[in-house]
Amino acid sequence: MNITVAGVGMTKFGELWAASPRCLAGIAVSAAIKDSKIEKKSIQGIFVANMLSGMLGMQGHLGALFAEELGLSGVPAYTVEGACASGGLAVHAGVMSILSGQYETVCVLGVEKMTDHKPELVSSALMGAGSNEERLAGATFPGLYAILARSHMEKYGTTEQQLASVAVKNHFHASLNPLAQFTHPITTEQVLRSSCVADPLKLLDCSPVTDGAAAIILTKQQKASGVHIVASQIATDSLGLAGRKSLTELASTKRASEKAFIQAGVERKSIDLAEVHDCFTIAEILAIEDMGFGKKGEVGKLIEQGAYTLGTAERIVVNSSGGLKGCGHPIGATGVKQIVEITNQLRGVCGKRQVKNARVGLAHNVGGSGATAVVHILRK
Amino acid sequence: MSPVKIWRNQKHFVKLIGKTGSIISWTMIRVPPDGFSQQAPYPLAVVRLDGGVQITAQIVDWEEKELKTNQKVTTVIRRTIDAAADGVIPYGIKVKPI
Repeated sequence: MNITVAGVGMTKFGELWAASPRCLAGIAVSAAIKDSKIEKKSIQGIFVANMLSGMLGMQGHLGALFAEELGLSGVPAYTVEGACASGGLAVHAGVMSILSGQYETVCVLGVEKMTDHKPELVSSALMGAGSNEERLAGATFPGLYAILARSHMEKYGTTEQQLASVAVKNHFHASLNPLAQFTHPITTEQVLRSSCVADPLKLLDCSPVTDGAAAIILTKQQKASGVHIVASQIATDSLGLAGRKSLTELASTKRASEKAFIQAGVERKSIDLAEVHDCFTIAEILAIEDMGFGKKGEVGKLIEQGAYTLGTAERIVVNSSGGLKGCGHPIGATGVKQIVEITNQLRGVCGKRQVKNARVGLAHNVGGSGATAVVHILRK
Repeated sequence: MSPVKIWRNQKHFVKLIGKTGSIISWTMIRVPPDGFSQQAPYPLAVVRLDGGVQITAQIVDWEEKELKTNQKVTTVIRRTIDAAADGVIPYGIKVKPI
């Protein structure tokens, strides 16, 4: 692998009613280009990550749309969709395009506009990531992850308090991130007292509905300095939960991470920080366990003890950005934002939420209830 | 849902009628998607049917004590999502505790 993350940029995440998708993309890409110190005209390809524009905004054809909007009309551009893993998949596609020799410099843009639409519609559109059987059964994503949570609780004794501690940690991290949707800390009691969405998951166990965009500029490596992508791997699994052998792990996460560690030639203990896909609190526990950063069944307790929290972490800080829960989850932007956060951490420019001596970082992005998992490893 | 899709789905779910199995895990959907608001809250389960096929389905005709892992269930036909403007009522598989 010889890919450099030359520039990164993102918008504030949140309920951004005054900003259109074009506006969000413009802010993120301009920031990434400026940060890269590469001229805009050097960009040879654009990879747009988005899930809901066609369903909610009735706008498809985002490659050409954003190429024009960004003043790059004529440049090859296309959309990559893999539900909540769209961002990670687009980064992978960008990496592949450079490895193929076709391009030397590309832009990966993740963008999503969710708060223009009423919650039932957003919820139904998100179920586009699940199976037809799940849609006909009236499933929702909180419901599917609640089913995973109950299995984990019954098999390993994971508690609602432990689930809540994931949200508490990630809100704490988000409170140190000025671009996060939620910049206020919360308590375990607040999580446990919040209204139930799908038992045992409560409102504050769930990542929010968010508008936002994130962009990165990738180039063929020219020099040793800077932040580099040293592994980019994807794995898939059955679209619906019913197709799984186990409901206490995501096999796609296991496969993608195993391949990524081999590709990068790094061991788990070398990873200083990870952005993992905490769309629901149970998802962070599954991610940490399935990638081998904690023993199966024990991670809930470890999170509660602060083992993955800034300041008290024993070996790896998880979701320093605030994760999907605290920073927000604009679907297509999330996987790209994870690369933005890891890059900034490895550069040492994260201020109050800086992970000390961060040298190697990992980004883990999941689509649906685990039908797609993408893992990137970055190092400086 | 388009009437043609409903017709195609019927061919699939007819194979699942009258099977028995048990609940692997379940939840109670309190915030439903579009087309299900009149049914909420409703329990949803992943069920392993005898023979090994697994399905995701709503639980109907239940009592509190039956909402648990390993509860035996049987598959039944029920209305699923609200009918669209064309008026064709979608049916599908749900499970009932036994």
